[in-house]
Amino acid sequence: MSNIPAELKYTKDHEWAKLEGDIVTVGITDFAQNSLGDIVYVELPNIGDNIEKEGTFGVVESIKSASDLYSPLTGEVVEINEDLNDSPDLLNEDSYTNWIMKIKISNEDEFNSLLSASDYEPLCEE
Amino acid sequence: MNKTSLYEAHLKLNAKMAEFAGFEMPIQYAGVKSEVQAVREDCGVFDVSHMGEFFVTGPDAQNFVDYLITNDFLSAQMNKAVYSPLCREDGTTIDDLIAYKLEENKVLICVNAANIDKDWNWIESKKSDFDITLENKSEAYSLLAVQGPETGKHMTTLGFKDLENFEYYSAKEFEIDGDKYILARTGYTGEDGFEIFASHDLIQKTWAKLMDQGVTPCGLASRDVLRLEVCYPLYGHELNDNLTPLDAALKWTVKLNKNEFIGKGALTDYTPNHRLAKLSIEKGIPREGYDILNDNNEVIGKVTSGTMSVVLGKGIALGLIKRDKFPKNKVFKIQIRKNIVDATYHTKAFVNGGHK
Repeated sequence: MSNIPAELKYTKDHEWAKLEGDIVTVGITDFAQNSLGDIVYVELPNIGDNIEKEGTFGVVESIKSASDLYSPLTGEVVEINEDLNDSPDLLNEDSYTNWIMKIKISNEDEFNSLLSASDYEPLCEE
Repeated sequence: MNKTSLYEAHLKLNAKMAEFAGFEMPIQYAGVKSEVQAVREDCGVFDVSHMGEFFVTGPDAQNFVDYLITNDFLSAQMNKAVYSPLCREDGTTIDDLIAYKLEENKVLICVNAANIDKDWNWIESKKSDFDITLENKSEAYSLLAVQGPETGKHMTTLGFKDLENFEYYSAKEFEIDGDKYILARTGYTGEDGFEIFASHDLIQKTWAKLMDQGVTPCGLASRDVLRLEVCYPLYGHELNDNLTPLDAALKWTVKLNKNEFIGKGALTDYTPNHRLAKLSIEKGIPREGYDILNDNNEVIGKVTSGTMSVVLGKGIALGLIKRDKFPKNKVFKIQIRKNIVDATYHTKAFVNGGHK
């Protein structure tokens, strides 16, 4: 069973989002990391990038495949988790404490349109 | 979709399954990294029952196989195995295979799963006046590849005796308590190891014993990393219906001074259009289809296979470079999405396998 924390919001593409003020922290879900297997490379966005909701902001690669990351929301990248450059496997260890980027959002309504944990759970059935 | 005789065993081990060459195959069990490490340092076992087995028997068996393939089969000693491309008259490659000289009048040919029908039709069509019998026993045989430096002791535990004198790239028929096996000291990992051809029920028993002995089950994903680390070509990637073996750094498998063989004329006069390059990059993973560039950022070739090397911790690739564009200065770059990254050119395999 996938770990799906109730306090987070989700996308159908298996990213999670957490709102604090006007900053949203973004990562991939436990289901995503488990489906990918050993994660060996993460291509992070650059600080200052403007990203659109559902636009790609990076790539996670397992040995077998490369998967695009899709932003849950529109905003500007204000922080990236540089630990993932050297230790991409942190995403396999815990994909919730090991976030990928933080973005500053301008439209809080977008956040409220994301999936709740209970909405997301059915998307994790294999 | 086809299933191997170990399908249920894979499900019990929670393998991730996926379609490969028409078979539902285990891609990975615990994880690709740990499976690669098991084979490089200890012992792992792969279910490769999807592969095809053809038997050539009769007085002309050796001559027929030698005529079919580009490598020299006649000169090989009894019980030796020979890796070879299988080519058309025009030198293009139908498949690559291993031919095992089991007896004076009996040869086993092991072919890629995706090419079983294509190879069989081709080989049958070339039988003409050769005094041989051809049998496609692909559906009767299961196949395990037990690979890694500690394989020998596990084989002994299984009851295979006198393995000290069993050379790398050789094969023998074994009978243990009335059970018949063909054992070959071959593989696709660069490590020492054995491949076991036997009936489905014997392979099911052998798999169960190997699990009890603590051998690591390994899937096709780790097999691909292992073969790429030691730079073994894979049909459909470095070789295909439009390329000759000479385009894919396989000149050592084309013996132009042996007797007549299919493709000899075309390959004798042929100048390859490609050269194979071994490249590594520091960040990211080169994937099949990515462009390879020179120092002027001009496209000179494409990645044919790429992965993350578990041993090196770097992205590694094989790529076909247009011969006339091959850079003298050996400066290569690879386009990864919107980035162009520097690649290191390797003259030797990325990893030295431990086989003797």
